[in-house]
Amino acid sequence: MRVVHYLNQFFGGLGAEEFAGATPEVREGAVGPGRLLEQLLGEGAKVVKTVVAGDNYAVENLDALAALVVKEVREAGGDLFVAGPCFQAGRYGVAAGAVCAAVQRELGIPAVTGMGLENPGVDLYRRDLYIVDSGGSVAAMREVLSRMAALAHKLLSKQEIGSPAEEGYFAHGLLRDAFVDKTAAERLVEMVYAKATGAPYESELTPTVFPAIPAPPPIADLSRARIAIVTDTGVVPKGNPDKIAPIAATNWGSYDISGVDDLRGEDFEVSHRGYDTRYVTEDPDRAVPVDALREFEKQGVIGKLHDRFVSTSGMVNPLANSRRLGREIAQRLKEEGVDAVVLVSA
Amino acid sequence: MRLTLAIHPIEELRFGEATRLDGTTLAIDQEELRRLLLADGGLESVDLEVVRPGERCRFGAVFDVVEPRAKEPADGADFPGILGPLRLAGRGTTHVLRGAAVSVIQDGSAFGRVIEMSGAAGEASPYSRLHHLVVVPHPRASLPRRALMRALRVASLKAAVYLAKAALGQEASTYEVYECGGPAESATPGVPRLAYIGQIHSFQMVAEPDEPIFYGSNTIGMAPAALHPNEWLDGAIVSSYFNLGVETYFYQNHPIINELYRWQEEGKVLLTGTVATMAASDNRDRERNSMIAAALAKWNLAADAVVLTKYGGGAPHADMGLTARYCEELGIRTVVQVSDMSTDRSAESALLFNYPEVDAIVNVGRGDTLQWVAPEVERVIAASAGAAASLASLERLTAGSVCGVTGQQGLSRLRSFVY
Amino acid sequence: MVPVAKMVGANRIIQGNGIVHPLGAADLPPAEEKELRRRILREAFEALQKDAGETD
Repeated sequence: MRVVHYLNQFFGGLGAEEFAGATPEVREGAVGPGRLLEQLLGEGAKVVKTVVAGDNYAVENLDALAALVVKEVREAGGDLFVAGPCFQAGRYGVAAGAVCAAVQRELGIPAVTGMGLENPGVDLYRRDLYIVDSGGSVAAMREVLSRMAALAHKLLSKQEIGSPAEEGYFAHGLLRDAFVDKTAAERLVEMVYAKATGAPYESELTPTVFPAIPAPPPIADLSRARIAIVTDTGVVPKGNPDKIAPIAATNWGSYDISGVDDLRGEDFEVSHRGYDTRYVTEDPDRAVPVDALREFEKQGVIGKLHDRFVSTSGMVNPLANSRRLGREIAQRLKEEGVDAVVLVSA
Repeated sequence: MRLTLAIHPIEELRFGEATRLDGTTLAIDQEELRRLLLADGGLESVDLEVVRPGERCRFGAVFDVVEPRAKEPADGADFPGILGPLRLAGRGTTHVLRGAAVSVIQDGSAFGRVIEMSGAAGEASPYSRLHHLVVVPHPRASLPRRALMRALRVASLKAAVYLAKAALGQEASTYEVYECGGPAESATPGVPRLAYIGQIHSFQMVAEPDEPIFYGSNTIGMAPAALHPNEWLDGAIVSSYFNLGVETYFYQNHPIINELYRWQEEGKVLLTGTVATMAASDNRDRERNSMIAAALAKWNLAADAVVLTKYGGGAPHADMGLTARYCEELGIRTVVQVSDMSTDRSAESALLFNYPEVDAIVNVGRGDTLQWVAPEVERVIAASAGAAASLASLERLTAGSVCGVTGQQGLSRLRSFVY
Repeated sequence: MVPVAKMVGANRIIQGNGIVHPLGAADLPPAEEKELRRRILREAFEALQKDAGETD
């Protein structure tokens, strides 16, 4: 069994965040956790190549990275491709998902990776890939790699893959029919009886539910209110100092606009892949309306334009992620005494 | 209101000199039955065949399957509003030839289903364990669709009643009693009051003016109606001409109504009644029907909880979902039975309604992903030589195309799992 | 994407002028574009001063 493994800068032994921009390197044999992976895959398995790339490089050059990985796997005659596991590292998860998907699609060989639930890679790729639930702790590495190895074996021998709960992967969210012992009638009456008597029951299908968000009361006096701008259009200062990813951003930035009457295109850039960014790049006020709000402030229509605006990228940002970002942003703005937010979305 | 089913088990069906029930053998006078079926004039001829359980036989396309039943004459009418005068169904004694069925074939249609009597596909359906009188009507060439379909419908019911009449005057093997006090029966703490809301037609499919569904009427213009559970079991409702996964056999042997009766028997629930409703073709009717059905369940049936099923294809899920939501709003707990209508098999797209309170769902899947290799057959019965040849050469059978596997009336053992 | 905003439960939603420039209009001369921006923001202010659910 010839295995090719993908790792980020950290697990690949280059270093931590400061090496996140590292361009891809191809090493012979197993590296870091790849050695354990090889062991767990058992007799006859060999990690023939390891591709290591920095998380930032990866996320900013997904297509090129995927093409490179596919080429390496093809040339190595790989039977199996493994990425990570990535745990909660978001950029790593997105990269791992992208390269696994490319290998699976273009080479038709099994690909397996591992991530924690909050990793944006899960929501993005769970439908197409087998992503083992690694949880958040790197301490579980051995256990996670075992499960990945077991799944890999089944995929390679084309055995039927069991349920997500049995095999430890994130449900693809696809439905498969099977015969069960009880008729629908029996299941129906049993379920409604439980529901009616307050006993627990397990629905055979669960709709995606968005809990109601209680609406804060209206602003009593706008002329005394501090208004902040928050945006998911990806408008960031030139140079993107916080390295907000254009896709599935896992962080947000807060940028000083005190004394600024108007945002100029040359001071900003846009980190977002989901829309044609040229209009906003030309004039960022089209997404972050500092000019108009400053006027309203001077006219006394609003009390104050908050001296910072908040930005992130909303592109294919999975719910698990954006819920966290939203909470963090809201927390910060509350601390800074903001009364209301104009949220501008692409 | 008490219904007694006098059960006469059948272990053999055969043709004979005279129609006669001898123990568990029913002999059928073909000529007499044929004359009866041709009497209306709609049929040019009719073929009759007997098929035994487990035979290497396949027949289709199936128009309907009906259990042979005949009422004690004093106790009501057989299929009131269609064959007989309008009498309330569900009372008195009805004789049942248990283990037998009348299966009527129609000329192949896009949604034609088969009955498979052997193999893994056969095992998955209760129909393979029955003795069938297979009726192949040949309607007059010139008949317009509505007359053609009506001829099939009437023939199916006439044949079923004719066979069962052989049991009149005979001692049954067992008696099944169906009795429930209805909404007036007083509640017991800890014993929930349950009702069933079942769609009996979907206006996706335009019913013929004389298409009998509900006491002989085609349901157009009807508001949801409260029925005693026994009415479903005793001929008030038959399947529509064009349906997906419904046979009259499983109205007569309604899995959900039977299950509710079982739970009542064990003292766990009180069955207070049922509502028959329709899936609408526009939003206003959908709202109206859903609102009325929920109100009936609350104020007329005093239900604490309700089981809901739909009829037809995908859109009727919306009616069912809305009805359930209105029930929940009135404090009635609900469970619904859905089929997977997603085109991409994704769990997210599978549900055609999204109300947080309608969170108890039984999912019987889609029926086209589960397949069997079609068993070799020695005998094929169809409406024409061409249809017979197609049936004979079938290589694969999907769960949805075999009668009795994916039904909408609660008999399905299929379940959809998220992977 | 108003339907998405509704689905996830946002309480006060104002329709902007398109994905590529929610508070802009590339086809308008600058002065008119600015006026459009002000107009949309005024709608936002209305919403902030009303109970949620009165706006759509």
